[in-house]
Amino acid sequence: MKRRVLTVPGAVLFAVILSGCGQSAERGYLPKGVTDQSERIISLWNGSWLAALGVGVLVWGLILWCVVAYRRKKDDVGLPVQLRYNVPIEILYTVVPLFMIAVLFAYTARDEDVLMDTSQKPEVTVNVVGKQWTWDFNYIEAGTYEPGGQILLTGKPGIPETLPTLYLPVNKRVEFVLTSRDVIHSYWVPQFLRKLDMIPGKVNRLQLKPTEIGVFEGKCAELCGVFHASMLFRVQVVSQVDFDAKMADLKAAGNIGMLDNSLSREALEPGQQQFLPKQGGN
Amino acid sequence: MTILKPNVAAPPIGLPVRRRSRGQTVVRWVTTTDHKVIGNLYMITSFAFFMLGGLLALVIRTELLAPGLQVVVNPEQYNQLFTMHGTIMLLLFATPLFAGFANALMPIQIGAPDVAFPRLNMLAYWLYLFGGLIASAGFLTPQGAASFGWFAYAPLSDVAYSPGMGGDLWVFGLALGGFGTILGAVNFITTILCLRAPGMTMFRMPLFTWTILVTSIMVLMAFPVLASALLALGADRKFGAHIFDPTNSGAMLWQHLFWFFGHPEVYIIALPFFGIISEIIPVFSRKPLFGYKGMVFAVIAIAALSVSVWAHHMYATGQVLLPFFAIMTMLIAVPTGVKFFNWIGTMWGGSLTFETPMLWSLGFLTTFLFGGLTGIILSSPPLDFHVTDSYFVVAHFHYVVFGTVVFAMFAGFYFWWPKFTGRMLDEKLGKVHFWMLFFGFHATFLIQHLLGIVGMPRRYADYLPEDGFTLMNQISSAGALLLGASTVPFLYNVWKTYRTAPLVETDDPWGYGASLEWATSCPPPRHNFESIPRIRSERPAFDLHHPEVAQFDQPVADKNVLDALLGAPDLDEDGQGADRPGKSMGAGDEKGDRR
Repeated sequence: MKRRVLTVPGAVLFAVILSGCGQSAERGYLPKGVTDQSERIISLWNGSWLAALGVGVLVWGLILWCVVAYRRKKDDVGLPVQLRYNVPIEILYTVVPLFMIAVLFAYTARDEDVLMDTSQKPEVTVNVVGKQWTWDFNYIEAGTYEPGGQILLTGKPGIPETLPTLYLPVNKRVEFVLTSRDVIHSYWVPQFLRKLDMIPGKVNRLQLKPTEIGVFEGKCAELCGVFHASMLFRVQVVSQVDFDAKMADLKAAGNIGMLDNSLSREALEPGQQQFLPKQGGN
Repeated sequence: MTILKPNVAAPPIGLPVRRRSRGQTVVRWVTTTDHKVIGNLYMITSFAFFMLGGLLALVIRTELLAPGLQVVVNPEQYNQLFTMHGTIMLLLFATPLFAGFANALMPIQIGAPDVAFPRLNMLAYWLYLFGGLIASAGFLTPQGAASFGWFAYAPLSDVAYSPGMGGDLWVFGLALGGFGTILGAVNFITTILCLRAPGMTMFRMPLFTWTILVTSIMVLMAFPVLASALLALGADRKFGAHIFDPTNSGAMLWQHLFWFFGHPEVYIIALPFFGIISEIIPVFSRKPLFGYKGMVFAVIAIAALSVSVWAHHMYATGQVLLPFFAIMTMLIAVPTGVKFFNWIGTMWGGSLTFETPMLWSLGFLTTFLFGGLTGIILSSPPLDFHVTDSYFVVAHFHYVVFGTVVFAMFAGFYFWWPKFTGRMLDEKLGKVHFWMLFFGFHATFLIQHLLGIVGMPRRYADYLPEDGFTLMNQISSAGALLLGASTVPFLYNVWKTYRTAPLVETDDPWGYGASLEWATSCPPPRHNFESIPRIRSERPAFDLHHPEVAQFDQPVADKNVLDALLGAPDLDEDGQGADRPGKSMGAGDEKGDRR
């Protein structure tokens, strides 16, 4: 009877969690993914969580069972059986996790190969440069650029509209060439469901295809000094026509060429130069 | 049984707190080489740092209550707060706390009169104390404390990006303190290898002592790397060396060096506390530890794996071999799982009571489990890419580190308080303390997983009203307040116990203590034992106090392939227990079922 009292609110709570945030729960509370890789990441995320929580519920259940079933009762005397070991069961709970790990690793290896693949030729290349505490965007094929200006946070609404904005055409494979002018930054667009560091001296590359038109927030995710929290930007994914128009606008404003990495406080390592895209593309 | 202690009324000369003037006590403590007093010094100092680090955390949580800066004057101050919070909690609280528990207990557990090098022991403590004071003295300088994060990534930690004396004090203070940790580890290893009492074979050592041995070996692998990296960083900062210059791959070099230290460090502060839990659960389950040898091998496996996983902190750098570090990281789940199932196996079929040490241990089990599960999620690079450097990671490592260090620390305090001071802490206040801390902790950190998943990066002094993070941050901060307040009943408990609790007259107030510290007085005399009981299993004190059980407590002689593979428990040894009564009894009688 007592147990039922506990389970009824529990079941209600569970139902509320399941139904209340249907869409959000379906993707494991991740932000809504907007790239061709989102489905892959969300499916691995959900599968891993189900397995992890399955193990968790089992182990919490065993702990709770011990606490309830083996508590010393008032009239208990003497000692329980002084069991010291049981080799078969010990081998069981060593070997079974090994198989679970093997499965997780197989899916992990499969997905990380796809996510890290930069062998395809991108349709658009953007050199995103991190600097204390904002971003420069060099559009390689279009031969133009847009420098970011520093933002000061006020605690009041209205900041997002003033952030530097990166424009991308929808449904085109984009390569982000990530470099830093000074300290380590990290390029994170939460709705892309991934991030990659920008390391001074190094060139990092990341490819994906945005699949939805919209405005998405971007952030620096690696501590980079005093104004780390204000190193924000926005990604605006637009149609190819709008993208070309924006590129033309930038050129018309006099932004010809690129703000290249020779302007940085920290020089590239010898040998890394070859990974940088050439202005004008192709 | 001639080896029984002749008299329990020996005066407690180990802790000279009574009937001495305050000055005499201070001089005695400052000049002591007694491992128990040094252990107390370590624990008191690290607990003071714990409270300082906790205060910094409360300021951080208050700042995050709402968008905009309300508490700190500028984001630089905020960066100093979380940098010093992390530094203090990891290097000035958790690591020396391991040395504190090791000093206070390990020599007694192996039946030794003191550690192998008592004066080196004291030197190690003073290096820690002054190193710690120097590292945190940055708050007293005009530019404030270090603000480049506790892992001090180059080139942000270089003088060009982080000028000021606070950073220099941080670098050299930690290097100095690190030498204290290294010397302490040398001491513990030597003590365990050379000073065990007759009969105390390696496979009869309490699991806590095993974890101290393995942890100390890890210290010797990890801390010299940190010390050299810090001194190199110091050379960059003070003498213009270019060791961590990005043009020479310095940014990645620092990360590799730091995390080669940093990941073993996580296990350096975890393993001894696993050891504490492994000591407590059997006592309150009234059973021996289940799968003792499996537990030992699990500890060794965790230590071995922990030096090959450092780059899982660096997945998002795009500069490491992902599959190797992913599989090695996932593998750590296996020995950790073995430990969990062994703890459950110890409780299984036991006779459990829930005094405060057991309550804290159960709190550890439930909390640390979730930290382990999120660790599995983070071990997979495709998932880590999204949540790394977000509040998800903050939540993960607080579940892991707080769940281990703090829960097990309080478990150990309540458990061994009579051994440290001769008095029992108040049970009722202990339970209030536990439940306040338990709910405060989960309210603070459970919500932070979600906060990270939806996109709040860690180390942000501020966020936007449009981000939608405000409510979650407020829930977290409210939990932090409760968590901080839970220290009040503990401190009151300590004071009340000191003033009013009666002295413990018996050797083993819990009644079912297993290891040797429960076979000597509370607190133990200057050189720990009036006499040492015969050691013929991994539970010498239990055998002493419950001879009727020990008599029948033998490995059953049905050796099969699996026994040969893993080995039977080290219960007896030819020659050691030859004159034991009841040697011929065992299997076949009414209790022959037990193994």
